[in-house]
Amino acid sequence: MPSSQTPPAGATAVDPTAVRPDIADARIIRVGPADLRATLAGLKADGFTMLLDAGGADYPGRDPRFDVVYHLLNLKPGAATVAAVGRPERVRVLCGVPEAEPVVPSVADLWPAANWAEREIFDLFGIRFDGHPDLRRIQMPADWEGHPLRKDYPLRGPARERSPRPNFALKSNVGAGTPASGRTAAALQKQIAAARGQAVPKDDAS
Amino acid sequence: MAVAELPGGQFLLAKLDDVARWAQSSSVWPLTMGLACCAIEMMTATAPEYDLARFGSEVFRASPRQADLMIVSGRVAQKMAPVVKRLYDQMADPKWVISMGACASSGGVFDNYAIVQGVDQVVPVDVYVPGCPPTPDGLLYAVNLIQQQIRQGGRGGILARA
Repeated sequence: MPSSQTPPAGATAVDPTAVRPDIADARIIRVGPADLRATLAGLKADGFTMLLDAGGADYPGRDPRFDVVYHLLNLKPGAATVAAVGRPERVRVLCGVPEAEPVVPSVADLWPAANWAEREIFDLFGIRFDGHPDLRRIQMPADWEGHPLRKDYPLRGPARERSPRPNFALKSNVGAGTPASGRTAAALQKQIAAARGQAVPKDDAS
Repeated sequence: MAVAELPGGQFLLAKLDDVARWAQSSSVWPLTMGLACCAIEMMTATAPEYDLARFGSEVFRASPRQADLMIVSGRVAQKMAPVVKRLYDQMADPKWVISMGACASSGGVFDNYAIVQGVDQVVPVDVYVPGCPPTPDGLLYAVNLIQQQIRQGGRGGILARA
């Protein structure tokens, strides 16, 4: 039996809200960058005090190309017992971001948890967050070029895209090895062969 | 020449080379560095069932200044590569490197932008250990190969022969 989160057969995942307006216990709201901050601030005032996660998505060929997704949880701070909390309410906010101007307002001041999440989205999708206190890469090295989770980013990176795959089978403890240790490894191979009474291999390293 | 007096007034004569290499090969101290899941097998190699201490290598040092052996146990991310290189540079000579597992040796299944395709692009590797992950026996054998190299005056030994 398909779960409630399974998209209908034949549906393309271009716009999640078109495929499934709501998911189980999570409301889905789609807004534009202009309304994003007001929407999120309003939700926080309504009790959605916890930002579970923020992430990005890339839909090449769609306009707007990117989505920034916020997952919010209503912790019901007034509830005294577990029963009163029940199933906490969830909201998922999707914000389309155009490729030409990938900028959305930061909510790091509303939820400190958004700080690193927004840095991650910036790092991997190249979406900038206006008003973020410290917007720099968080996962890739600081001097990295490109944004790897974009669908048009080459899987092996731009530099190695056409290079052959390294071959583990060519690496040997007693034959090849790196130059520094190769000399020793070849000598070791000779000694092992001599101890076994086999023909001593030629030293082709030098 | 090294001369030792045994109980009963007996002597042992040995070449200083051999004594030094015997001591050195019996105390190959690894660096405390676990990069990924191979590190779990590396820890298992120190546990009683496999007992790396039999070969004198159970003393994992938290400082590269005190370590002789770097066990690259896992995939090396592009961001981690400079750190690995720096730790290797900080280790005092003589020093050895074991590339543990498929990822450290060739990138393994991670043929992508984020992973260095073989740690031998960053530091010189003495012994490769195949496997995903290698068994603790495999790592023990790699340590044994390093010891063998040292006893035969291999690269890096304090009294290395040419």
